[in-house]
Amino acid sequence: MTIAAKTVNIQGEVLALTNQRCIYWKAKEALILSDLHIGKTAHFRKNGIPVSSEVLQKDLQRLEQLIHHFNPKSLIIVGDLFHAELNKDVLFFKKWMQQFPDINISLIKGNHDKNSFELYDGLNIDLLDNQLELPPFVFVHDIKTYAVNKFYISGHIHPGVLIKGKGKQRIKLPCYQIIKNKLVLPAFSEFTGLNSNTNIEITRCFAITKTQVFEV
Amino acid sequence: MGKFEESDGFKIIYNYFEDREQSPFQFQIKTWKKYASGHCGVVVAPTGFGKTFSVFLGVLIDYLNHPERYKKGLKLLWISPLRSLAKDLAKAMKAAVDQIGLDWEVQVRNGDTPQNVRRQQERLMPDILLTTPETMHLLFSQKKNSRWFTALQCVAVDEWHELLGNKRGVLTELAISRLLTIVPNLKIWGITATIGNLKEAMDVLIPYADKKTVMITAKEKKKIKVVSVLPNEVEVLPWAGHLGKSLSSKIIPIIYENNTTLIFTNTRGQSELWYQIILEAAPELAGQLAIHHGSIDLKLRHWIEDNIAEGNLRAVICTSSLDLGVDFKPVDCIIQIGSAKGVARFIQRAGRSGHSPYEVSKIYFVPTHSLELIEVAALKEALKTGKIEERQPMVLCYDIMVQFLVTLAVGEGFHADEAYKILKQTHAFSYLNEDEFNWGLQFITQGGSTLKAYEEFHKVIKDEDELYKVKSRRISMLHRMNIGAIVSDAMLRVKYMSGGYIGMIEEFFISKLKPKSSFVLAGKTLELVKIKDMTAYVKKSKAKNAVTPSWLGGRLPLSSHLSHYLRIKLADALSPGIRERELKFLHPLISRQSAHSHIPQSNEFLVELIETKEGFHLFMYPFEGRLVHEVISALIAHRISKIKPLTYTIAMNDYGFELLSDQPFPIDENNIENILSKENLMEDVTASINASEMASRKFRDIAVIAGLVVQSRPGSRQNNKSLQSSSGLIFRVLEDNEPQNLLLRQSYTEVFDQQLEEVRLQAAFERISKSKIILKHAKSFTPLSFPIKVDSLRNSMSYESLEKRIERIKKQTLKVN
Repeated sequence: MTIAAKTVNIQGEVLALTNQRCIYWKAKEALILSDLHIGKTAHFRKNGIPVSSEVLQKDLQRLEQLIHHFNPKSLIIVGDLFHAELNKDVLFFKKWMQQFPDINISLIKGNHDKNSFELYDGLNIDLLDNQLELPPFVFVHDIKTYAVNKFYISGHIHPGVLIKGKGKQRIKLPCYQIIKNKLVLPAFSEFTGLNSNTNIEITRCFAITKTQVFEV
Repeated sequence: MGKFEESDGFKIIYNYFEDREQSPFQFQIKTWKKYASGHCGVVVAPTGFGKTFSVFLGVLIDYLNHPERYKKGLKLLWISPLRSLAKDLAKAMKAAVDQIGLDWEVQVRNGDTPQNVRRQQERLMPDILLTTPETMHLLFSQKKNSRWFTALQCVAVDEWHELLGNKRGVLTELAISRLLTIVPNLKIWGITATIGNLKEAMDVLIPYADKKTVMITAKEKKKIKVVSVLPNEVEVLPWAGHLGKSLSSKIIPIIYENNTTLIFTNTRGQSELWYQIILEAAPELAGQLAIHHGSIDLKLRHWIEDNIAEGNLRAVICTSSLDLGVDFKPVDCIIQIGSAKGVARFIQRAGRSGHSPYEVSKIYFVPTHSLELIEVAALKEALKTGKIEERQPMVLCYDIMVQFLVTLAVGEGFHADEAYKILKQTHAFSYLNEDEFNWGLQFITQGGSTLKAYEEFHKVIKDEDELYKVKSRRISMLHRMNIGAIVSDAMLRVKYMSGGYIGMIEEFFISKLKPKSSFVLAGKTLELVKIKDMTAYVKKSKAKNAVTPSWLGGRLPLSSHLSHYLRIKLADALSPGIRERELKFLHPLISRQSAHSHIPQSNEFLVELIETKEGFHLFMYPFEGRLVHEVISALIAHRISKIKPLTYTIAMNDYGFELLSDQPFPIDENNIENILSKENLMEDVTASINASEMASRKFRDIAVIAGLVVQSRPGSRQNNKSLQSSSGLIFRVLEDNEPQNLLLRQSYTEVFDQQLEEVRLQAAFERISKSKIILKHAKSFTPLSFPIKVDSLRNSMSYESLEKRIERIKKQTLKVN
């Protein structure tokens, strides 16, 4: 696995946008990620759609390598850590998390994160219902009301970008979007779709591949 | 008179005809006789000649002669592809039953049937049930469903030609096979219009060795009169897609000369466009002109259909949405705009007018560019020889197999050997082997090959009695919602802000629109306000310029049958016969093509190298339809790039394709044969296309049919959001984790069979290799190349700038010469 990163300077802070769908914020020694959707494959299986649990394994292997690489003190998850109910995928994740007893998780709850005690039980986790303010940033899952003088970091929409080449070649890649005073993270889980429909003016867009991050 | 004609049953039915001052057609009597002697079979007859009454009355006669053989309950099952047919057919049957004096109950069951009627049917089935293939499978997914079919005598499949050739046909084959396990003596009858492979059509429907089969063909023929609408003068450079507009002044009088005219276009987008054009040309038609296509609200469509039947409408612009369906008596004229793409479709559309027997069907052909007039000549030739396209039956559809196995498991449950037999005895699965079947069992019980990765997957459970069953109510419910083989594109509902539903539109189209932009739907100009919950909210727009949606579907490929006649007629065009009005009209264009380049004879293949300011153009004319040209053009580009790497843009229509480059093509008389060689054909094709991406697109339908993707239903409250995923995502996950999955393999097979049309491609190259290749150089566009050029411009330009651009090219071209 190649970890490549592009650093951007926002509000005087240096953020490393990695090609592995998460941001490293060095000043706070925090890994920022979004939309892990843990439990999604098991939820599908339970409902009669066979999706291999390998998919979760691969996501977690990637996270493991990122943690070893950056050595963060905390994970800031801007929503949708879990996809649905407590299931085997969730249990597996909790056990897997035990290898990092010193890492604290801050979860800003997303629309998929259910209000059930058993989901979060046993994790070293701070649950936040709406937002987390760590100046100069506000972490939220999805933004409904803006304050002009703040900078938001969010997830939720699984942004993608359509890159058109010659001869009707088109390729869709996950990306980071900066829209005015907001940065949207790509979904961490690979078992998520890409949303490339947008009617909003995007200020900057960084597409990612297996080996690199590049500005579009 | 034979014994049959003396039977009571025959006399009663014969008297029934006499009472109505009619007499049965020969093919009807023959069908009754063969039914009485225990045959199964297929009836081939044109519409309007009472083919329904052949099989239906055959069953009645048999009942009247042998009432003791019939038990209480469902006796005749009538499967037809169209819901809209069922209601009127049931009415006609009911009237006949009443007049004959029988107490038989005739009912319809399909997606529109209200709950209480269904429950009532489940308590006691009517004597005759009219239904669809999908509803048959839904019935199979009910508890204890076998009991409904124990008295069944006959299953009739109406419009079998419409089902053969797609996966709904496979659903029908399976339904019959399952019914045979309940009533082995079941009689199977198909009713079909003429197609090129009737014998095969019968073998697919009735592949059972123990059944006596017969094919009954009506001698009666429908007469078709084809009139082409010619422009005032021929444009030597045919302007693709725009000629038609100037012909609107010729269409209006045709509408006024007739009672009701159906105007067929090839795409929903075109029908919207023509609605505007005709209203503009004849504003007084407002209120008597309607538009009908698959994206218009169902209620509105029904309303339009009722009004056609009552004769309240002068003209209806429609797409293939009205190809089939109820016979509209008032319709006495058809207009086809643009290519019909196939002989069978053309005949079918023509047949929508002049419905009663012996009446002549009238069809006007309006070309969208002058070259299409050659197609009229080709169609006339095809009608003369009476040869019609074949419909290839589908085989080994693993997606349908998976769906069917789960259907059985949701219903009564199944034992492996029984299910295997039901599949194996159909035509579609006659080549199924045990490994593939066992894979299917494993797929629905374990999910995949590595058990551990699918622990929670318990879709179908094998219980102690070796019975495969679905236990979870939720899975049963999800499956029932998913039964069928029609996969629609992701569609959004279009609604007024103030309430009121207009129709459906493809998500793909609307996602490109920004709020406040305008588009046309159902003949109305609408402004997009917002998109929420799979619904696009709109309000009336005053904008003059609105986009006409392009729906992804509806791009029909030219049939190989028609392209064969096209090549012949193009070759004939230099010296047209005296009665070939279209070819004579085209003469200026043809002679220009001949003077500046060449008219390919049927044993020649034309390649044109044209140099303009824009760059270097390579044109080839295989006449094999857009889909095949897509493949051939990629292949030729690939082969040329082996000589010299170039970058291209590619454009195509049904007649040929263009490669455009900024550098000269390394092509001459010496290497052109190699470039068009049939050697290493499929290897080069595979190298030149992105098979995995194409397969991923094909996988969409497969994933939905096999239940891997839950379809979101616009407007339905139950959206199963937590189970939403795209087929592309599932495709990737399977390629990574279960590469041996048969559904994946099927998607590649479908790419080669349908997208690449491997057989047709091979045949085309076989033909080219035997042809003399004519290589021509030109300094400006030729009449053959011009429409392709225009088509490629259209994709990238707005309408107005396109018109200006075309005018400029025309001027340049004419100056050069």
